[in-house]
Amino acid sequence: MQKWRYALASALALALAGPVGSPATAATPKDTLVMAWNLDALITFDPAQIAEINGNDIIRNVCDPLVEYKLDDVSKIVPKTAESWSVSEDGLKLTFKLRPNLQFPSGKKATAHDLAWSMHRVLHLGFGASANLTQWGFSKDKAEQQIVATDDHTLVAHLDKPYPLQLILSAAFANQVTQLLDKEEGMKNAKVADGKSDHGNAFFKTAPICVGPYKVRTWNANDVVILERNDNYYGYDAYAGGKPALRRIVYRHVPESGAQRLQIEKGDIDVARLLNSDDLKALSSNKDVHIEQTLMHGFTYLVFNAADPILSNPKVRLAFRYLIDYEGLGKTVIQYLGAPRNSLVPIGAYAALNEKEGLPFKLDLDKAKQILAEAGYPQGFSKKYILSANTPNPPIAQHIAANAAKIGVKLELEQMADAHLFQRARNREFDVLQIGWGAGYPDADSMISRHAVNPDNRAEAKLAQYPSWRSSWQDQKVNQWAEAAKMERDPAKRIAMYADIQRYMLENGPMAYIYQTVRSIAIRKDVVKDFQIGPFWVAYGTAKK
Amino acid sequence: MTAAAEGRSPQPRRLPPWVRAGWRVGSSIVVTLLGLLGLTFFIGRMLPIDPVIAIVGEQAEQSTYDMVYKQLGLDRPLYVQFGYFIRDMMSGNFGQALFTGNRVIDDLRRVFPATIELATFAICIGVFVGVPVGMLAAVYRGRAIDHVARMVGLIGYSSPTFWLGLMGLVIFYAALGWVGGPGRLDVYFIDVVDLVTGSVLIDSAIAGEWDVFRNAFSHIVLPGSILGFASMAYISRMTRSFMLEQLGQEYVIAARVKGLSKWRVIWRHAFRNILVQLITVIALAYAFLLEGAVLTETVFAWPGFGRYLTAGLLAGDMNAVLACTLIIGLIFVGLNLLSDLLYRLLDPRTR
Repeated sequence: MQKWRYALASALALALAGPVGSPATAATPKDTLVMAWNLDALITFDPAQIAEINGNDIIRNVCDPLVEYKLDDVSKIVPKTAESWSVSEDGLKLTFKLRPNLQFPSGKKATAHDLAWSMHRVLHLGFGASANLTQWGFSKDKAEQQIVATDDHTLVAHLDKPYPLQLILSAAFANQVTQLLDKEEGMKNAKVADGKSDHGNAFFKTAPICVGPYKVRTWNANDVVILERNDNYYGYDAYAGGKPALRRIVYRHVPESGAQRLQIEKGDIDVARLLNSDDLKALSSNKDVHIEQTLMHGFTYLVFNAADPILSNPKVRLAFRYLIDYEGLGKTVIQYLGAPRNSLVPIGAYAALNEKEGLPFKLDLDKAKQILAEAGYPQGFSKKYILSANTPNPPIAQHIAANAAKIGVKLELEQMADAHLFQRARNREFDVLQIGWGAGYPDADSMISRHAVNPDNRAEAKLAQYPSWRSSWQDQKVNQWAEAAKMERDPAKRIAMYADIQRYMLENGPMAYIYQTVRSIAIRKDVVKDFQIGPFWVAYGTAKK
Repeated sequence: MTAAAEGRSPQPRRLPPWVRAGWRVGSSIVVTLLGLLGLTFFIGRMLPIDPVIAIVGEQAEQSTYDMVYKQLGLDRPLYVQFGYFIRDMMSGNFGQALFTGNRVIDDLRRVFPATIELATFAICIGVFVGVPVGMLAAVYRGRAIDHVARMVGLIGYSSPTFWLGLMGLVIFYAALGWVGGPGRLDVYFIDVVDLVTGSVLIDSAIAGEWDVFRNAFSHIVLPGSILGFASMAYISRMTRSFMLEQLGQEYVIAARVKGLSKWRVIWRHAFRNILVQLITVIALAYAFLLEGAVLTETVFAWPGFGRYLTAGLLAGDMNAVLACTLIIGLIFVGLNLLSDLLYRLLDPRTR
C-alpha cells in the first residue's frame, strides 16, 4: 500500500516537474549560423554523386570548383580555384592556371594533379553528375587524355568541339564536377570490389576533403549537418578581416514548416529554409524577420503528349496557355513559391527573354475557345491529367481543369507521389502532365538542349533525360537551330538565336510553362547580415552575425 | 535457432518438454516473421514507385538508370530478389538503404534508439498516470473524477497528434518557453556528448554532462508527453473496465465484510487480479509506440524510426522497409512472449 502511494506520488511529481524542468536556451551562438531545412534528400557529400539541391547547396560551401557564376548575376563567370584561363585559337584547348596557394583543410598543398584526378573519377564513377562532362564530349575511356595536369598549377582540357567559352565554362567548369578533392586520401581510402575501385566514393560520402571555405564536421542523417571553417582557405583575402566571421554553420533537419516558423520567431534558428506559403505570409509581418525571395532556374509546367492525336496539334496546346490565370496564381497559390513565366529560359540565365516578352499569355477563355475551334475541336475533348500530390500542385491543376471545363475540355485529374509521377513521365505514360524541372546551368542552352531539342524520338531511344522526348515531340528545325546557337562563338549572334528559339517554342512547343520557381528564405534580420543567396545555392562565407 | 536445430535431432520423442515448447514457439515465430517479410516484400514491389529514380535523380540518362537498375538486382525475378534478401538477412546484412546511402543496419542503430527513448518516456507517463487514473475512475464510478477521466481519455484518443504537437509547441515552447523546441538538443549542446547507447538522456547522464541532460529532457518532455497522453488514455480506460469487473466480484465483498479497508481490498486483492490483463495492454501500447510515431516525429524533428520507415516506403526502398518490418515483427513477438512469461510469474493458475 505504502509503496504504491510512493510510486503514484513520484509519478505525478515527475509529470508535473516535466514542463518546468529546464527552460530552453534562447538565441544562437554568436559565431554560428543555425539554419532549419529538410535534409531528407541528402544522401552523399561526394561531388561526383550529388544529384539534389540540398547537397549541392552545402557542397558549394565546402568544395570550390574551377570557376563560379557570380552570385548576384549568374550569367557572369568569376574565378575560384583557377585564377585565370585561356582558350586556344581553334577553340579546342582550354588552359586553367590554378591559384598558387591552394590548401586542403589540413594545410596540405592542393595541386592541379588533385583536380585532374577529381575530374577523372567523376567520369569513371558515372553517376548522374558525370553528364555535366559527358555532354561536352568528355568520356570515361579518354578521361586521362582529355583532362591533363601539365604541372602543379596548370590544368588543360581538350574539347571535342570549339564551344563558346561562356557556355562551356558555365556548363562544365563552374559545375560541381570540377570541385577539387584530395587525391592521396581518395586513393588511400578507395574500396575495391570485383576488381573495380570506388575511387574514394564511400570515403568522401561523409567527409569530402576539399579546397573550400568550410569543411564537413558532423553529419547525422536526417538530424544535423555541421560545417566548420577551413582555416587554411585561400579565399580569405576576399573577406574583410581575413576570415569569414562565422566559425560554424549548422543545418538542423526540421521537416515541418510550422515548427521552423516557431523556431525562427523565437530566435532558436537564424534562417528558415523551407517554409510553406502560409507560414511565409505570417512571418512577413514579423519585424525581426526578413523574407528573401530569389528566382531559381527551375519551372513548373505542363507537358502535352504529342503522340496523342489531339494533343499533337500545336493549336490545341496553344489554347491551353490561355486557360491559366498567371497573375491570379502569382498572387495566391504560388505567392512566395514562384513567378509566372511562359518562356522556357529562366530569368537570370544567359540569353533569356526579358520579363515582359517571357510572359505573353494571360487568362483568356474566349481566345482559348476560338483557337480550339480553329484546331477542329469546338466541342472540346477529354484527357487525363497527372500531377504530384505535393503543394502547390493540386490547386494549380484544379484551377486549370476548372477553366478547361468552361470551354468544353474535360480534364480528369490524378494525383500521385513524386516517385510515381517521375516514372510515368519517363515512360511517356500520360496525356497531360504537370511537373517541375531544374536547369543545370545559367545559360539558355541548359533548358533548350533538353526541352526543345529531341535528338531521337523513337521509343526505343529511351532519351528519358529529355523532357522533349518524354512528350514525344520533335522538330528538326529546332534541333538544327539549337545546335547552331550552341556552337556560335559570337555572343551577340548567339543571344539573338536563342531569343528566336524561345519565341518559336512559346507558340509551338510541347510544354506550357506556368511559373519559374522562387526560393523564399526567412532570415532573422536582427542577427544575420550579408547572407548571399544565389539561384543555385547560398553562400555563407560572407555572412556575419 | 538452437531449439530448431535440436528439434531435427534423431530422437525427437525423447526431448525434454522445455525443448519441445521452445521448438514450437521458435518455429511459429520464424514462420510468422517470414510470412510478414514475404507479404511486405511482394506488396512493396507491386507499388508503382521506382527506387532507381531516388538514386540517380529524375533527370538522369537512361544508361545511368539501367546501370543502377541492374546493380540493385531489379532485373531478376521477384522470388529470386526475395531469396537473396532472406539469405543476406540471415547473415545480418540488410543491405544498403538507397534513400540515405548508408547500410540499413547503421541507419537503424541511429534511428531506433531515438524512438526507444521517446517511446519509453511516453509509456512511463501512460502507465504512471493512466493506471492510477483508471483505478480512481473505477472506484468512484459515475462521480466527478470518472467523468473527468473519461473526457480526458476521449481527448487523448481523438485529438490528431499532429495538431496536438503543433499546439503544444505554440504554447509551451513559443509562448511560455517552458520546454525545448523541435530536435533532440539545442544547438549549443549538439556534439557535446558522444552517443554510446543512442539515448541522449542516458549518454549525457553517464558522461556526467548534466547541462546536456537537462536540455535533452526539456526537448523530450513535450513529444513524450503528447505520445504518453494517447497511451494514457488507452491504459486508463482499460484499467477502469478491468477494475470494474473485479470490484463486482463476490470475493471483494467478502473481503470487505471481513473488515479489510476499502483501499487494502482494492490494491491487495482486486489490483493483483487485473495485473495480468493490464500487462498485456501495456505491452501492446509500448509496441505501438516503438513502431514510431511518424507525425509526432515530423513535428518535433525527432530523427526516429517512424519517419525512417515512412521515408523508406515513399522512396520505394525495400531494403529499409523490410528491415523495419522485421524489427516491428520482432517487437510484437518479443513483447508478446514477455507478457506470456510474466503471466506465468504473476498468475499462479497458469503454472
